[in-house]
Amino acid sequence: MTRECAVLLPGVCAALADPRQPGLDDTCLEKLLDWFRSLTWFDPTVELVQDNPCLTELISSVLALPEPSPSILSFTLQLAGILAASENRFQHLQQEKLLGRLFGRDGPRGRAVWEDASVRSGWVKGVHSMVHHQPALHFLCSGGGMDVIFALQGDPSLFVASAASQLLVHMLTFSVESETSKPLSTKDCEWPVCAQMIKKHMEDSLQSGSASHVEQSLKLLTSLFGSCYAAWTEVLWSDIAKQIESFLMEETVQAQHMLANLLLNVARSPVFCDTEGSFWALVTSALEHLTPVQACPLAVGLLKLCKCPQDVRIQALTVLLQPMDCILRAASQPLEYAGLLDESVSDPVTVESLLSSKTSCAGLLCQTLAHLEKLLSLKHLRVDLPYMSLLRSLMTILQFCNGLLSPASPLGSTISRNLINCFRVQKSALDVLAALSEKEGCDTLMGSLFDVLLAYLESPNTSPTVLKKAFQATSKWLVRLQELSCSNTQCQQTEKILEDVFVVLQKRLCSPCWEVRDSSLEFLTAMIKCLRDQGGFRQCLLSSEVPRLTENLLEDPESYVRASAVTAVGHLAFLPSFAPESPVAGNQCNKENIVAKLQEILSTDSEGFPRRAVISIFTKWLREGCTGQLEDTEQFVSRVIQTVEHDLDWEVRLGGLELVEVFCSQTICQLGLSECPYAPVSSAVPSPTPQNQLLRVFCRAKLFGFLFRSLCDCDKPVGQRACDILIGLRGNFYPMSTLENPQEIEDSPAGRGIAWLQRTLSQGSLAQNFHTDGGNGVDFQDPESMMVALGAIDLLELHDELNKSSDHVEESPQSLLQDILATMGTIEENEVDCY
Amino acid sequence: LLAFSLCPGAGQDVGRSCILVSIAGKNVMLDCGMHMGYNDDRRFPDFSYITQNGRLTDFLDCVIISHFHLDHCGALPYFSEMVGYDGPIYMTHPTKAICPILLEDYRKITVDKKGETNFFTSQMIKDCMKKVVAVHLHQTVQVDEELEIKAYYAGHVLGAAMFQIKVGCESVVYTGDYNMTPDRHLGAAWIDKCRPDLLISESTYATTIRDSKRCRERDFLKKVHETVERGGKVLIPVFALGRAQELCILLETFWERMNLKAPIYFSTGLTEKANHYYKLFITWTNQKIRKTFVQRNMFEFKHIKAFDRAFADNPGPMVVFATPGMLHAGQSLQIFRKWAGNEKNMVIMPGYCVQGTVGHKILSGQRKLEMEGRQILEVKMQVEYMSFSAHADAKGIMQLIRQAEPRNVLLVHGEAKKMEFLKQKIEQEFHVSCYMPANGETTTIFTNPSIPVDISLGLLKREAAIGPVPDAKKPKLMHGTLLMKDNSFRLVSPEQALKELGLAEHQLRFTCRVHIQDPRKEHETVLRVYNHLKGVLKDYSVQHLPDGSITVESILIQATAHSEDQGTKVLLVSWTYQDEELGSYLTSLLKKGLPQSTS
Repeated sequence: MTRECAVLLPGVCAALADPRQPGLDDTCLEKLLDWFRSLTWFDPTVELVQDNPCLTELISSVLALPEPSPSILSFTLQLAGILAASENRFQHLQQEKLLGRLFGRDGPRGRAVWEDASVRSGWVKGVHSMVHHQPALHFLCSGGGMDVIFALQGDPSLFVASAASQLLVHMLTFSVESETSKPLSTKDCEWPVCAQMIKKHMEDSLQSGSASHVEQSLKLLTSLFGSCYAAWTEVLWSDIAKQIESFLMEETVQAQHMLANLLLNVARSPVFCDTEGSFWALVTSALEHLTPVQACPLAVGLLKLCKCPQDVRIQALTVLLQPMDCILRAASQPLEYAGLLDESVSDPVTVESLLSSKTSCAGLLCQTLAHLEKLLSLKHLRVDLPYMSLLRSLMTILQFCNGLLSPASPLGSTISRNLINCFRVQKSALDVLAALSEKEGCDTLMGSLFDVLLAYLESPNTSPTVLKKAFQATSKWLVRLQELSCSNTQCQQTEKILEDVFVVLQKRLCSPCWEVRDSSLEFLTAMIKCLRDQGGFRQCLLSSEVPRLTENLLEDPESYVRASAVTAVGHLAFLPSFAPESPVAGNQCNKENIVAKLQEILSTDSEGFPRRAVISIFTKWLREGCTGQLEDTEQFVSRVIQTVEHDLDWEVRLGGLELVEVFCSQTICQLGLSECPYAPVSSAVPSPTPQNQLLRVFCRAKLFGFLFRSLCDCDKPVGQRACDILIGLRGNFYPMSTLENPQEIEDSPAGRGIAWLQRTLSQGSLAQNFHTDGGNGVDFQDPESMMVALGAIDLLELHDELNKSSDHVEESPQSLLQDILATMGTIEENEVDCY
Repeated sequence: LLAFSLCPGAGQDVGRSCILVSIAGKNVMLDCGMHMGYNDDRRFPDFSYITQNGRLTDFLDCVIISHFHLDHCGALPYFSEMVGYDGPIYMTHPTKAICPILLEDYRKITVDKKGETNFFTSQMIKDCMKKVVAVHLHQTVQVDEELEIKAYYAGHVLGAAMFQIKVGCESVVYTGDYNMTPDRHLGAAWIDKCRPDLLISESTYATTIRDSKRCRERDFLKKVHETVERGGKVLIPVFALGRAQELCILLETFWERMNLKAPIYFSTGLTEKANHYYKLFITWTNQKIRKTFVQRNMFEFKHIKAFDRAFADNPGPMVVFATPGMLHAGQSLQIFRKWAGNEKNMVIMPGYCVQGTVGHKILSGQRKLEMEGRQILEVKMQVEYMSFSAHADAKGIMQLIRQAEPRNVLLVHGEAKKMEFLKQKIEQEFHVSCYMPANGETTTIFTNPSIPVDISLGLLKREAAIGPVPDAKKPKLMHGTLLMKDNSFRLVSPEQALKELGLAEHQLRFTCRVHIQDPRKEHETVLRVYNHLKGVLKDYSVQHLPDGSITVESILIQATAHSEDQGTKVLLVSWTYQDEELGSYLTSLLKKGLPQSTS
């Protein structure tokens, strides 16, 4: 603790304990606790409480209040817990006889204030912080604390109940691990007292027949097995496995949905991965007995495990694929198609009935699809998924949803009626479809797949959110299609599909709904990014109306759409036949036109998004080297930064700096100064000519004015970036050794920081070394003075200064203490308001 | 019906609004707010409490956002793009238009200030907004076949709405923040007498009867005027949209009236956009604005001009609106630093400031601020706080309850002590239950849903024909078979039900054996019984059938001799369900034995 804080602390404690003071903002108390947590984390000594007696005084005076405010009492409980986390301070607080009055029988739990959830929450959190040594455990076990915690598991406040459950897990783990030396057996007497109490409570609850008690214990066990992988957990499991098994068989237990989570956590624990037989038999039985909706998360979890018996894996896969299988069978004629699963392993009756019901059909499918998507995104999948059948099933679902398929079978027609126009299922199915595009073996279905996708893209009934997903899936599959189309027939097929896609896109770009126009533009950009090297694609695109429509959208009333149009137009410019040379240096008026239009957006658009899009497209152009010769580029960059410099949006200014950075590194490379960008020159003096040339280029392009002024920008990231760039640049003009030793630079005054720079920039005449442009300011176009400036400003110190988060002062504990003291003195008036 | 608030931490802070309501099996999340006082996980609600099993998208049927303030929508992009909720989101048209501006404003400040990377991006805000379905006032929106929502005008800020959520005949109204008195640019909240099962109301000003906003406005103008008159500069830190526009209108009209010349600047170039939205959503503003709009658009400001950074150094008086609103970064802080040293200048904080910000410090009276690099900034300029927030006060809350006539009230977004007072008042005056759960606590409300049932015409006619002439004002009991099929309920005659369901009719008969001491022959006993019944049941048709059995309406009586004791006769009485009453009566009659005289 700093001296300043130690001085402020007594005042703060006194104010907090004063019942006449108005209540403090909750955040202040929380932040105060954060501070104490950080103070005590690495310091177990008793000094903190000894040197600051105000802390114990605060605790005892709050305890002495007849009616303490719940928030202060809650704070006090938590503070005491944090302090008592070390054995030394625990003993100290015990000597002061405080802990019993906080967490023992004499504590607030008997008082009216206990009714307030924040007090109970503070109590649990305080105990949790405290339990890091055996005396704390004994204190709780002997003082009746355990019963309170057990009771709080069923607290009306979810937050308190959950915290109590976490606390028990922590106590059980801590008790076993700190109080036993030899491996435990199932005999209770060998378990330490605290662990024994928790274990017994858990077992009793499981057998109690009360749904809420069973649920609490299952919750506790789930988080225990999820967080603790010690060998003794296996002993615990062997004690309760029978009971868990009986829950699976009984239909009356309400807690079945929790069993899946528990079993999954146990299965994940390395302790159980080599277990033979009985555990996995229980898992298999769970997969059979739980409802499909309950079993599905368990199945997915099992499929992700590295170590899992193969037969369990197959069973899990069966559970997961059953709804998809059911869809396929429902859509096909009897005997025509066997489905996705081997009939011998599937028992479709339950799934069929769920899919036939209007209320459960969409839910089951959405859940299954979400799990499948998760599974498909895994790099190493340990089972073979039948991709082709899966794709067929997905297409069927999508066709059910838009009414394109109404099968004759009674089940099929029921499902199709349930699914028609169901956006949720459409979205989930399209997500899986997109994920499936990266898997092998679906190529023969490509034709019909695009029929389905195009139907979605075309249909006026497709909602904007579904359309967006359809676009995403389409662009993924188009990439796949391009990879495959080498033969002539496939080429023709691809061309036809692309033509159809562009026809739809044309229509969608004119949609009255901005979300649709925006998604269409994003789709176009995504396509160009992936397919711009494919001749067929370029031809299709350029012969369509899409480029023209895209350009029109540069003037869209919605700024999001304008920004997306800028990005799309920017990418269109990369297409070789669209811009044979480059957008900047090209001769065609079309390209000049585009650059001019984007420039205009950059300087006049009233909103940030389009301007940001323009600057990032310009940077991209520059990076990809399509802005032509150096002189052209120089002019281009110069024009852009002059526009950007006055932008009100700091992210546009930051974008301008990025452009400058790329330009600098390219110029340095082009002038042969350095092989790679920003590599510092060696101390051996290089020939001066390229350096001077470089300096002149930068001055002509007016880079320095922009960079130096950005150093003083009111938005920190801009200053930081400018500083980084200048430091990089300086390395090209000054040898490394002089930079480590700034004094070597002539006339370098030390400590030239932001304040000095600001004065210099505004007055221009302060530094004799700087030429001024007629007394109005520094002449940033004078190479000589810029050379001096680069050496003179202590950029490294500036860099450190800027890198400090702007609120490092505000966030400091001292500031917090000052704020609390100041707030306590003011009236209540300012307290409640909205933003 | 279940309702529970998801925001940890108790109390009055301007925290995150996020309430979960379960109604008739549908789960709806109301608002998705953030807390500006924290820079870590605590700024967003902990969504893991919504459901421990399964995905949020599967669990929640929809999310509803009441208005564009960040404590009601600030966590939305985080929820939809980072936590992974992919379902429908509803808000009004103005909220959908303005929400992204504020989110973007906030994102920029956060990233600017701390260079935070683990925060939602511009693209995420856009992707999130693209998922939003915009609704009109009083438009019933069908979320799915059972769940419908409807927006009502809430005042407070442009586009703020109260939402009615309805499943079948059960309904909840969520007020969000609302204001029952019209102000300079917005009207008062209004709702029809929808009699919801539950009204969830904010209670920020639960015990306050607020002074008129006019007073506060006059005060504000007076202070600005005085400062400008003595040549000082006025800084008003604001968030991009909302309060800023309200104050702009105020100053604009004042400048016009007083013919003032000092320039007013708006720093972020947002006037144009705000202007656009206020024009676009003119129907959401109050009547006065709508009326005068024909002659002059209130949002076309003559005196308020775009700010350039260089202007801050200009000599002479001026008024500047600059973002952000709590003086914690960017332009407003930069201007503040420049002007703080001059006692002629003034800073007016028109809203709440969180701890740690410069705004909070100066409001709590601190005058020597440590800035970066250990510099001390001495604040000599005048510091004023003005609350322009538009919440319903105690009177307003009561008024809304009177309007909507809910069966239960739940108070949120307020301080426990004040809420307790209001709760008692509500319970006394309206005789409804009022709840004020702590954050994280679930409130369960039992409803008595009345389920509408269609009745077939045939059955209606038949039932109407029985008994007295039907009276339209009196309820009438009807008998029939309830068919629950395809989510509809119909009351039909049993015959029709059998036909529709393709079932064969089963006759259910009750039987009872009655023992009578009678040494005579069986047919004689039967005759005695027949005569007895005929005598007692004069209004019923009692018949003696040729096979020796007796019928009374549908009730059948047969007599047999007891197998062991010939002196005892066993009467087998059998009746149908329809004649249950008569059957029971007959049995009890026979159990009393036969009268001697008839022998």
